[in-house]
Amino acid sequence: MALSLPSRLRLLQGTQTTHLLSIPTHPQLAFYLCQQRVEIHKLRQGENLILGFSIGGGIDQDPSQNPFSEDKTDKGIYVTRVSEGGPAEIAGLQIGDKIMQVNGWDMTMVTHDQARKRLTKRSEEVVRLLVTRQSLQKAVQQSMLS
Amino acid sequence: RDKAEPGSMGRHSRKERYTMRPGRGKGPASCRWPAPSQSVLVGNSCTAGYTGERQRREAAQVLRKTGQRPPGSGPPAERSPCRGQVCTSDLRIPLMWKDTEDFKTEGDLHHRAVFLLLQTGECTQDTETILADRTLTAVSFHNNVLFAEAGPDSELRLELYGACVEEEGALAGAPKRLATKLSSCLGCSSGRRVQASLETARGSGSSPILLPTAAAGGPRYHRLAHTTLTLAAVQDGSHTLDLTVTSHEDPAWLPLDGSVCCCLVAQPFCVAQPTAGGTLGAQQAGELQDWVRARGVLKGTNRFCYHQPEDTDTGEEPLFTVVINKETQVRAGELDQAVGRPFTLGISNHWGALQSWTEALRQLFFDMSQWKQCRDEIMKIETPAPRKPLQVLAKQGSWYHEMVTAIEPLDDITAVTDSLAQREGTRLETPPACPAWPLLACFSGPNPSPAPFPVLEEMPNGLPGCCPPRPLPWGFSLSCPSPRPKRCPQSRGLCSKGPPHTWLQSPV
Repeated sequence: MALSLPSRLRLLQGTQTTHLLSIPTHPQLAFYLCQQRVEIHKLRQGENLILGFSIGGGIDQDPSQNPFSEDKTDKGIYVTRVSEGGPAEIAGLQIGDKIMQVNGWDMTMVTHDQARKRLTKRSEEVVRLLVTRQSLQKAVQQSMLS
Repeated sequence: RDKAEPGSMGRHSRKERYTMRPGRGKGPASCRWPAPSQSVLVGNSCTAGYTGERQRREAAQVLRKTGQRPPGSGPPAERSPCRGQVCTSDLRIPLMWKDTEDFKTEGDLHHRAVFLLLQTGECTQDTETILADRTLTAVSFHNNVLFAEAGPDSELRLELYGACVEEEGALAGAPKRLATKLSSCLGCSSGRRVQASLETARGSGSSPILLPTAAAGGPRYHRLAHTTLTLAAVQDGSHTLDLTVTSHEDPAWLPLDGSVCCCLVAQPFCVAQPTAGGTLGAQQAGELQDWVRARGVLKGTNRFCYHQPEDTDTGEEPLFTVVINKETQVRAGELDQAVGRPFTLGISNHWGALQSWTEALRQLFFDMSQWKQCRDEIMKIETPAPRKPLQVLAKQGSWYHEMVTAIEPLDDITAVTDSLAQREGTRLETPPACPAWPLLACFSGPNPSPAPFPVLEEMPNGLPGCCPPRPLPWGFSLSCPSPRPKRCPQSRGLCSKGPPHTWLQSPV
């Protein structure tokens, strides 16, 4: 989507790309800008390619049991655990991140099993995730208030 | 036929040898059975079929077939597979609105009334009518459509009908609801008439009108799209199918993107309900004890349960369970040949009862081969909610009501679904204590498991001792059967619309 931003500050940390807006104009805009791109290179363990994290959530799951979401009706896919030293941790994925997209595939309206399958495709060695992070959102919201 | 030899059953030719071997005999499903002449014991009664009049009719048919021709000589092509319930749910047709230029008519407020017509060979049902306009990204039909009876070869034809409606409030001409059931099997003569007119309409052109005469003021429904679903489309969960869009120039045109999402489930009767039962003698090998009288119940998806006679109806756990699957082989053999075997099913002396059992088993095997993926697990069928009348559309006695003089009341569906709901309650759930033990593992000696597992087994040369496992001659390949993996409850949610209770976490 095309957003016209008065100004933009870009931070690079490792393999993360974080966009921070200095003057957010709209709360919705702020939400969309708190998205991180995380590129995870899968690790081969025997026959499997693993990413080193766990997911929870899905449209077929009970969202009220999600400890990470602020909105308890949010049926999105969340990162519930990140293995220490695993590919996900190295790439900068954090526990509590909500996964919005995987390699361009939408993850906001999928079942738990569909989400798992989209992450574990054998043919893909690298997955590019688009995630939103609470801490980042809060930071932007704070900057809006000030 | 040769003369009957003493001790053998009169109908059978000497040439017919009943042994279970793969690849022998004619046809893909030749199923040869051990010669019953080798003094077998057959139970004294066998009631085929339990619930429902249809089941009884089918069972009677089975028994009649038994009497008419010798077993093993009839190829399963002459058999008819058992029927089952088929249910569609989560029907959803995406719409792709682009720009207002898409609309042919100027001033078109873009309101369409749409519904789906679903037909098997015998029954026609419709969904509720949905008002579609530019704000909808997909037309979703929330109610399930249940076909109480369909065969594995049934084709379910889905047709989308739409009509222009001028404005949301003024739908005076629209019928409240179309067919409840236009089923020739109910003997509804007007249903047949409508059915016939639908056939003509379908064959005549690209956008046939639903019914030939429309009263003045009523909306004309045009067929916008269609597709046909078969058994192959039955699977867990919702998936997307191609929809053939038939009308592009219609006044009732909608921007269909050529796909329909649906969830199609099927529950064969042989899987959900007991198909045969009777008293048997069962003996556990390795212990020279008397034959235990037990009640055997043949119930689909791999169960052949033995209950104490009095426990059959109380829902008690069975004494033991035999798994019937691809690797099952059935033999009726000598008792003394069973020494050293874990368990033998012996069926005592009466020809008729043996035939009934073997016929019931053969029918079950045939049904299982026909229903394919539907037999592996019992698919859940959610009873359709009672239809609410569409509030938006005005009530009136439309041309439709004039055409169909005998509309089946909703009670009909309710009666069916009520009895189904009752049956669901009595269905035996998969007992976790009884894994799907491969029967072949029992060949090599006494079963090491704590519970005795009776084995239906074959002895090709009549010699006791180990024989290598042989597959059933249905084209199934022999593979080492493993216990079916436990499926998490969420992924079995087929038509289930209850709120989810779990919040699963999975490593990736």
